Amino acid sequence: MKKLLLLPLLLAGLVTGIQAHHSFAAEFDSSKPIKVSGTVTKVEWQNPHIWFYVDVKNDDGTVTNWAFSGGAPGQLMRRGVPRSSIQPGMMVIVEGFKAKDGSNNANGSKVTFEDGRSVFTAGNEDEAGKKKQ
Amino acid sequence: MNTSLTNAIASAARISILALAAVLAWPLLAQDKAPAGIPRTPEGKPNFTGTYEWPKSDGEQCHCSATIFDRKNFAALKPGGEPFLEPRTGDPRHDEPRDFCLPAGFPSGMLSANAMQFFQSKNDLVMVHEFQRMTRVIPLDGRKHREDIEPTFYGDPVGHWDGDTLVIETTNFKRWGLDDYFYTNPKEYRMHSDALKTTERMKYKDAKTLSYNLTIDDPKTFVGPWSQEFTIHAKPEWDKDGLIEYVCEENNRCAGGHCGGNSK
Repeated sequence: MKKLLLLPLLLAGLVTGIQAHHSFAAEFDSSKPIKVSGTVTKVEWQNPHIWFYVDVKNDDGTVTNWAFSGGAPGQLMRRGVPRSSIQPGMMVIVEGFKAKDGSNNANGSKVTFEDGRSVFTAGNEDEAGKKKQ
Repeated sequence: MNTSLTNAIASAARISILALAAVLAWPLLAQDKAPAGIPRTPEGKPNFTGTYEWPKSDGEQCHCSATIFDRKNFAALKPGGEPFLEPRTGDPRHDEPRDFCLPAGFPSGMLSANAMQFFQSKNDLVMVHEFQRMTRVIPLDGRKHREDIEPTFYGDPVGHWDGDTLVIETTNFKRWGLDDYFYTNPKEYRMHSDALKTTERMKYKDAKTLSYNLTIDDPKTFVGPWSQEFTIHAKPEWDKDGLIEYVCEENNRCAGGHCGGNSK
């Protein structure tokens, strides 16, 4: 039941908005969207931004570990995204935008789980930032 | 026209003028009186202790969801004054100091989109903002601003009561970003000078809503002071969780100027 309640809360969170402490425009490239699926290897549910890491299998059989940045824990908590939302070992699909510097870092804005649920982990300033560019 | 009729007309005119003046003045007289039913301290002052959202405005929207000042409210820029718009240089230490966990400062930090908690006693109001755990201790005991201290990110506030309105005057700022215009324009952002003086006027609109008026008086930048009206909504439902810790240095993966979990 708790999980069923989560999505409306998350959508409400998008409306009320949160703020990150770095600029989407400065760090991420709105012209380089990324959508990957893989296994969560590590989660840092800490300030100033959460980061979570996902092992993604490439076409050539190699594995790339992608790092995704999200909002601050307190902001996510009030959007109904608790610390336990993303845990190592989970299979996830992550959508976001790649870092400008070409590294394996990205802004992770939407995480979809195996059961079809989605959570929004980025600040909507990042959403707005990509539209602005 | 006889004298008695003239006097009668004059008296009626005076009464009308007085009545009109009273009607016109009533909103001014009533504006500093808070509505009934608001929480008050034992001394009878409005009590702002509680948990709140950040100040919000109907004005210009930032592409960051934090509240920013509406340029329509700005006074004219002072000819020959200090630069208000600061070009981005590409150096993150200059362009986004918060990537290095430097403070947002006041008023920018106050307007960031995070929860706030206020604690009020007879002699102090403490404003704690979850973002960067910004803490402002505002003396209410009638003291003056401190003198001969280093300019600071958050300035030196003192408060006093104007009826049921709390007035907070803050001086002694260092030159720093004015607001989260950081996010609105990739080429430049807005600065205040070290001559900034802010005046906050906070009062209850109803038991769950505060009126928060912020005046920017920056004589090195603008030709005169200007103000913007904000609303602060109480969030008693956030009391059960309270504020959570915010230690920017804990996992700051932007310190090198490029945010990246995989580059640390």
